[in-house]
Amino acid sequence: MKKHLNDGQLRAALDGELEEAGMVHLVNCSTCQARQNEIQSTMQQAARSLSFLTDPAPTTGPAAETALNQYHQRNHNRKEIPMFKKIFASPLVRVGLAFVLILVVVLSVPSARALADEFLNLFRIQQVVVVPVDFTGIRQLTGNDPLGKEVSDLISSSMTSRQEPGNPVTVADAAKASQLAGFTVRVPQGMTPSRISTVGAAAFTLKIDVAKAQALLDESGRPDLVLPPSIDGADVSVTIPASVSVAYGTCPDPASQDTDNGFDSKGSAGRRYPDCVILAELPTPTVAAPADLNIAQLAQIGLEFTGMTSEQAAAFTQTVDWTSTLVIPLPKNAATYQQVPVDGVTGTLIQRPADDVPQYVLLWVKNGIIYAISSLGTDSEQAIQMANSLH
Amino acid sequence: MKTGSRTEPRAAPPPSLSFEELFLKHWGSIYQHLVRMIGDPAEAEDLALETFFRLYRHLPMSGEGDNPGGWLYRVATNLGLRSIRSFKRREKYEMAAGKGALEEVSESRPAVILEKKEQHLLAHLALAKMNPRRAELLVLRYSGMSYKEIAEALDLSPASIGPLLLRAEREFEKIYCALDQEEE
Repeated sequence: MKKHLNDGQLRAALDGELEEAGMVHLVNCSTCQARQNEIQSTMQQAARSLSFLTDPAPTTGPAAETALNQYHQRNHNRKEIPMFKKIFASPLVRVGLAFVLILVVVLSVPSARALADEFLNLFRIQQVVVVPVDFTGIRQLTGNDPLGKEVSDLISSSMTSRQEPGNPVTVADAAKASQLAGFTVRVPQGMTPSRISTVGAAAFTLKIDVAKAQALLDESGRPDLVLPPSIDGADVSVTIPASVSVAYGTCPDPASQDTDNGFDSKGSAGRRYPDCVILAELPTPTVAAPADLNIAQLAQIGLEFTGMTSEQAAAFTQTVDWTSTLVIPLPKNAATYQQVPVDGVTGTLIQRPADDVPQYVLLWVKNGIIYAISSLGTDSEQAIQMANSLH
Repeated sequence: MKTGSRTEPRAAPPPSLSFEELFLKHWGSIYQHLVRMIGDPAEAEDLALETFFRLYRHLPMSGEGDNPGGWLYRVATNLGLRSIRSFKRREKYEMAAGKGALEEVSESRPAVILEKKEQHLLAHLALAKMNPRRAELLVLRYSGMSYKEIAEALDLSPASIGPLLLRAEREFEKIYCALDQEEE
C-alpha cells in the first residue's frame, strides 16, 4: 500500500481496528507515524477525561431480580398515573377528569369543614402549569399493590356520579358539534377532519374521608405529611361540560381505549396511528369546594408527596393561583415541556422524547375553553400552526 | 409524524429470549454503565429502568437484528447524555463550588480526588455541549465497545467508526479545553 492512510484509518489503528494491509503500511511509513502521533495526543486527552466510563462502578446497585420486580411495579404505576395518561388520551373531557384527579391526588384529597357551608370557592381553569415530579412518592404508594388498590378504592368510594357523560357521538361537522356541545367549536383552516365527535357533560361529587386518606399517606411511607382534620367530610363538586374532539388522519375510535401507550400484537398506538392528530376543546370544568379550604396548604402536601422538598413545594405553591390553574404533574425523564405563544395566548407544549415512541400535546386556555392538540408523533410545529389557524 | 427515525435504534432481541430473560441478562451492565456515566446511583437506577421500559415497548420490532445488548447500551447512553445535559447548569454551579472547596482545602486533604471530580464534571459539561451523535459515539467507545459493536448499535459501517471517532474526540478536546480555560 503506497497511498498514505487517512486520519480515520490512523485513529482506527490506535485501537487495533485497522485492517492488516493498513497496519503493514503504517509500520513502514514514517509520515503516517508522525501524523498518528498527533492523533494519539487527541485520543489520550479524551481517554484521560473519559476514564470514569470504565472505572469500577461505585455500587453494584440492586440485583437483577430485585430490579425486575421494581420494573414491573413501575410499569404498573405508569399505567396507573392518571394525569399524564389522561392528558395524552384523546377526548378532552379527560382533561377535566385529570383536573379532578389532580385535586384528589396532588392535593391529597381536598376537603371542606362544613357541609352546610353555603359559600363555595369556584375553580375555573384559566391557565396551565406543568410541575415536574419525581416518581419516588408515587412509587412508594403503588410499590405495594394492596396499598395501590386501597387508594383506588378510596377515590371510587368517595365519588358519587351526578351526571354520566355517555358515549362519544360522531357528528357531521363543526356546526353540529357546536350545537350539541353548547359552545362554538373552532377548527383549523384548510384541514379536513376525519371525524368529529362530542362527549356529553359529566358531574360528580367527592366526599372527603381524612382518616382513610391519612392512613394511606402513613402507609405509603409519608407520615410526615399531615392532612388537616378540619377538612373531613367535605363535599367537592365537579362539573365537566360537554366536549368536542376533532380528529385528523387515521385515529383510534374515541370510544376505545386505543390511545393507551401500550401495544399489542398490532404494535404500539404510535405505530398504528402515525399521522393521527386530535384537537380537543372543552369549556373549563368547575370545581366547587368550601370557602375555607386552604388550597395552598393541601397543594403543598400533594407536591411534597410527589417528591418535592417542603421548601420547593412551598416556593412552587406561592407561584400558582390554585383556583384557576390546571396543574399537570409531569414525571421526570418521561417528557419535556416548554411554554409557547399560541392562538394569542401562552400555551404549554409537552413532548415525549423523539428517540422513544414520540408523543406531544399542546395545551392552552382561551376565552374559557381549554384546547389540546395531541399526536403520537414529533411534528409539534404542525400543532402550533393548527392552533394559530383556528377559526 | 413518523414513529421511527434514522436515529432511533432498532431493538433486536433474539426470538429465543423473553423480555424477562433480556432484563436479567443485561440489567447489571446497563445499570453500571449509567452509574459510571452520570455518577448518581439513584438517577442511574431510574434511567436503567427507563431503558428496559423502552426495550419492552420496542419488542414488536424483534427480528430486525440480533444485538439487544448494543441497542440497550445505545438507549441507556442517550438517556444518560440527556440527563447530563439537563443537569449541565447545576453541574456548572457545583463545579464552581467544588473549585472553591479545592482552593480552601488544606494540603492534607486528598486534592487529587477533588481534581478528579473536577475533571469528571468538566467532561460532563463537554459531553453536554457536544453534537449529540458524536457524544453518543464517544461514550460508547470509551465504555469499552468495539468498533463492530458500535457500528451495529448505531447502524453504521465499521470502517466509518475511526473517522467519526476522531472527529468526536477533536470536538470533545476543543470544548473541554475551552471550558477548562474558562474555569481558570
